[in-house]
Amino acid sequence: MPRASVDTHCPYCALQCAMTLGEPDASASPSSTAPVSVTARDFPTNRGGLCKKGWTSAELLGTASRLRVPLVRGADGELAEASWDEALDLVASRLRGIRDEYGADAVGVFGGGGLTNEKAYLLGKFARLALGTSRIDYNGRYCMSSAAAAGNRAFGVDRGLPFPVEDLDAADTVLLLGSNVAATMPPFIGHLAGAQSAGGLVVVDPRRTATARLTDDGQGLHLQPAPGTDLVLLLGLIHQVVAERLVDADYLERRTIGYAALRRSVSSWWPERVQSVTGVPATALRRLARRLAAGGNTFILTGRGVEQHVDGTDTATAAINLALLLGLPGRPGSGYGTLTGQGNGQGGREHGQKCDQLPGYRKITDPAARAHVARVWGVEPEAIPGPGLPAVELLQSLGRDGGVRALLVHGSNLVVSSPNVAAVRDGLASLELLVVCDFVRSETAALADVVLPVRQWAEEEGTMTSLEGRVLRRRRAIEPPEGTRDELWVLAELARRLECPATFDTDPERVFEELRLASEGGLADYSGIDYAMLDRGEAAYWPFPRGGTGTPRLFDERFAHADGLARLVPVSVRPAVLEGPAPDELTLVTGRLLEHYQSGAQTRLVPELLAAEPELRASIHPATAERLGIADGELVEVENARGRVCCPALLTTEVRVETVFLPFHFGDDRAANLLTSDLVDPVSAMPEFKTNRVRLRPAARPAGRLAEAGAPI
Amino acid sequence: MTVQRIVLLGYGPVGARFVEELLPAVADGSLELTVVGGEPVEAYNRVLVAEYAVGGTELDAMLVGDRAAAEAAGVRMRLGVTARAIDRDARTVKLETGEHLGYDRLVLATGARANVPTLDGVERRRRDLVSLEKYADALVGRDDELPAGITALRDLADAERVLAAVRSRRRIIVLGAGVLGLELALAAAHAGAEVCVVHHGPHPMPRNLDRGAGLVLRAGLRRTGVTVVANSRAEAVGFRDEADGSRSFDQLVTADGKQLRGDLLVLSCGVGARTELATLAGLRTASGIVVNPWLASWSDPAVFAIGDCAQVVERTEENSLERTLPGAPSGLIGPGWRQADWLAASFAAEARGEASADSIAGGAGPSSHGERTAPPAEREPIVMLKAEHLDVVAVGDVGPEPWDEDPRNPQRRVAQWADPEHHRYVKMVTEGGVLTAFASVGMPRTAAELTLLFERRAELPADRSLLLRFDGPDDDPTASGDAFAPTATVCWCNGVTVERIEAAAASGSTTVECVGRDTRAGTGCGGCKGRIAEVLARAAAGANDVAPIGEPDDATSLTG
Repeated sequence: MPRASVDTHCPYCALQCAMTLGEPDASASPSSTAPVSVTARDFPTNRGGLCKKGWTSAELLGTASRLRVPLVRGADGELAEASWDEALDLVASRLRGIRDEYGADAVGVFGGGGLTNEKAYLLGKFARLALGTSRIDYNGRYCMSSAAAAGNRAFGVDRGLPFPVEDLDAADTVLLLGSNVAATMPPFIGHLAGAQSAGGLVVVDPRRTATARLTDDGQGLHLQPAPGTDLVLLLGLIHQVVAERLVDADYLERRTIGYAALRRSVSSWWPERVQSVTGVPATALRRLARRLAAGGNTFILTGRGVEQHVDGTDTATAAINLALLLGLPGRPGSGYGTLTGQGNGQGGREHGQKCDQLPGYRKITDPAARAHVARVWGVEPEAIPGPGLPAVELLQSLGRDGGVRALLVHGSNLVVSSPNVAAVRDGLASLELLVVCDFVRSETAALADVVLPVRQWAEEEGTMTSLEGRVLRRRRAIEPPEGTRDELWVLAELARRLECPATFDTDPERVFEELRLASEGGLADYSGIDYAMLDRGEAAYWPFPRGGTGTPRLFDERFAHADGLARLVPVSVRPAVLEGPAPDELTLVTGRLLEHYQSGAQTRLVPELLAAEPELRASIHPATAERLGIADGELVEVENARGRVCCPALLTTEVRVETVFLPFHFGDDRAANLLTSDLVDPVSAMPEFKTNRVRLRPAARPAGRLAEAGAPI
Repeated sequence: MTVQRIVLLGYGPVGARFVEELLPAVADGSLELTVVGGEPVEAYNRVLVAEYAVGGTELDAMLVGDRAAAEAAGVRMRLGVTARAIDRDARTVKLETGEHLGYDRLVLATGARANVPTLDGVERRRRDLVSLEKYADALVGRDDELPAGITALRDLADAERVLAAVRSRRRIIVLGAGVLGLELALAAAHAGAEVCVVHHGPHPMPRNLDRGAGLVLRAGLRRTGVTVVANSRAEAVGFRDEADGSRSFDQLVTADGKQLRGDLLVLSCGVGARTELATLAGLRTASGIVVNPWLASWSDPAVFAIGDCAQVVERTEENSLERTLPGAPSGLIGPGWRQADWLAASFAAEARGEASADSIAGGAGPSSHGERTAPPAEREPIVMLKAEHLDVVAVGDVGPEPWDEDPRNPQRRVAQWADPEHHRYVKMVTEGGVLTAFASVGMPRTAAELTLLFERRAELPADRSLLLRFDGPDDDPTASGDAFAPTATVCWCNGVTVERIEAAAASGSTTVECVGRDTRAGTGCGGCKGRIAEVLARAAAGANDVAPIGEPDDATSLTG
């Protein structure tokens, strides 16, 4: 039975909309499986609103597809039910054997940006101490690493929004680069209303998305650059700001270093040259530069659209450079931020599940950081392994000599969400052991040797850190299903079986208390935060040192580099990035839909969401469709050297003529990531999801028929 | 292998790029580099000189070179020093200071100077071999002195002269209606000067535009306040006596007898490569210093040329003895940068031992070029008028008309849109669906898309009119102007359409709150509640003829 009226937050995205779970709604449809009702709660981020995913989120709690008992793959190759002891004993003994044979680094851990802070923290500790492996990374490598790297480089710290979301309300101008928030975190767009009414919402996106349309009717401007040319666009804006002396010279002098080199790095990107690369008119660029510099409340925000590229770190850096030139970061009512995507995408990148990181956003290579964390963990610093491999490289090492032989997956459906998933599937198949913790039978769970059924959002306690760096309480509203276990318990049990002497608490609050100690003095310092404070509703933004206060606005006085100054880092365009698709190719852009969340493992199980977006469809421009002889709804094959996906075409002028858009929410042979490349950004190791090349043709027709393209259909 | 000594003559944007690309090789000691530049300042982006000349930007923002970084890497920088002669036998360059710099490779990036047209009253120097040998000191590395009140627009000193005239709102006459002349004219007019453009063709930018585009451009120029005098060949200049006893420009006299008075005459009649050092040294020159596709001189494999002074021609049996050669330096920065990148990379690779030792210098003939393939041939450059209120982009031969047939080009098709009243014109010339030429005036989005399509050699949509609609009020066909179409989305947060709300209204949900309970519309960010109320009002009234909401507000619009 549900507890009466529990305040918690939505299970999905990083906006973490506040909601209250209560008695089941008597008026709900009889087919509803929701054991609780969902009511939106007034909170600064969502202000009493929820999107379709949030309203229907409780359906997943009662889904028939729920995993309720451990599964172990038998000799017949089928997954069969097992007891927890059997499953955990098996996992522990296999891990031990693999470790003995190949060494500790033969065991890998793959985490997720949806795990609570407590789980993310304990997972990092488990990998380093119980497994003794350096091979841990997580799916946030696919979304936040480039912006994080850029933020660290420029500001010395990475908190997605270094200001509360409500600061956006009073903006005159918001430059939103590569983010379709209207579909991915809809209630957020309420915070753009001020900029819209000031005619100053500027959306940069190759697609004419729902967000781009918020600029219609004089509410702003939509710039539609060719995919992959965002960096050039930004360099052009910087050029214009410099050329027209629109920079905040006083701010640059007081708060930054590196202006001279930056200025030189953009002198060759005048607006007309930018136009010839991006397809964005020079006049629009000039107007935008002036608008940004007009001195009102101005924000620059980036999303995955500009970050998920092989030059994503540089692109995010260029956005930061632009913001710094205009004097925005740290100026009251203005700023730069990146919109974190996953529910705990912020907290998930702070507590040690990144391969190069220890809790508190500490560097694993920093001796002082290692000493501090070793003290908290009660081990010698030497007991903590060094840096491991970032996600894509980690997955590429599966089954290889010197690579990972056993992989533990937590909170990630990586055979849907990873780039080049065909290769990832091969890698998983070559493992000696794949263990997946999940609460539904995701595509990745279906491949596992052992599946451990864990608990989900409304069944557990913990904390999440939202896109604005605010720590929030997730609360239990219903009793978890019989047979499921908390991931903290799973880690503790495995650690015990692996005879790890370190402590693995199973109580979230006690784990949080340990996390506080481990983070103390780090960049992401949680030491002053406790559950009681959060339960009182206090707004706790990190860094929040013990005995101190939180930090809603991070850069009011200084940046996090030792000298307090921000770095202007010149970046340049790599020529290969600018090559457009060949005449018979289209650029593949992947992304998300309103109704689904990430790999879709959860939202595809919610009937209302699935009914609205039941299947993969390839969005193409009618002109392109005409050229290729494709009718609306007709099956098409989208193909390149890596793979092929077959799905109906959706003709829409939302996409540019040289692009095709595929949402990545679908699995198996409908996974858009069959087509994406596993090339990564050299700084952040984040893959390229936005400019892969594909060919498109009507399905079930020989390729030769392409010659007849353009014929009436 | 001994360390190769490279001498670069010329430190403009192309030279600076060459230096930048070579820095790693210089820093690690595998190459030596000496740079000689005539202007005593850091290299700057010449593309921006017109903007500088009207006060639109300042030198800081134009700098492309990094002298300090170059010197830190070990490059010898000799700026403000002119080279006077090349001794190819001794492999030395003589500077005006009397020094001699030895080289193993000499790279000429001497750029171009403004052409001075034949005008009564303006002295014009010849730079043929005889004159050069006779007057070397006055001609080599120096531009012609122009009378007071007359200037070209090429370097910072020229720009300062123009800037003074703009600041004091003087009357400026621009001679020539090429892209550079028009950019200056428009920028100066925008900055408040009185500007008159004089040219001898029937319409501006005759090399780039067809008649339709040219006439629309002319109308646009006039609308922005620039006087345009077409069909007029300039013949002479007249001077006036100033109060301080000096003489300065007073009027331009045309062949048909017009006397156009002004305070500053800006010559914008094209540029010519600075070839005099090469000519004196006996290197083959035509309209530029003649180099093969590997950028090495036809006459000397140890000498290279890049940028505005270089004329790339593949040497053949037939053309090696001809006086005139095809092509000319492009005069654009993009090709120059690509040449600088390629040549620097080629030198650096060789220094690392990646190419055979005899491949570039050291006596091998120009037919031997090591392992590296030549830089790709440059495609015809796109010309874009850099101006605030007039958008002109063109490339290729836009002469053909839609109904012209050309048996040599059976696949050629021409599509055209002309709307002179609203200053809009587009012509697209395709070959098998791929753009070979286009001209666009007054349609910035269309021009930007065509630019991209041309650069990428992509096929145009079969319906060419698609490309025109970007600049129209129905820019977004999906919006279709009707916010109340049944499938139009009202609530983005919950994906609720007009028809769902209408259905809810029909079944009794007549308030925004009721609709929210029924459909979740308005229960996200709440931004659509006003529109829900409108949908309900329309449903209640049964009206189908209510106008779409939301006319653009010009005062704050970014798009206006």
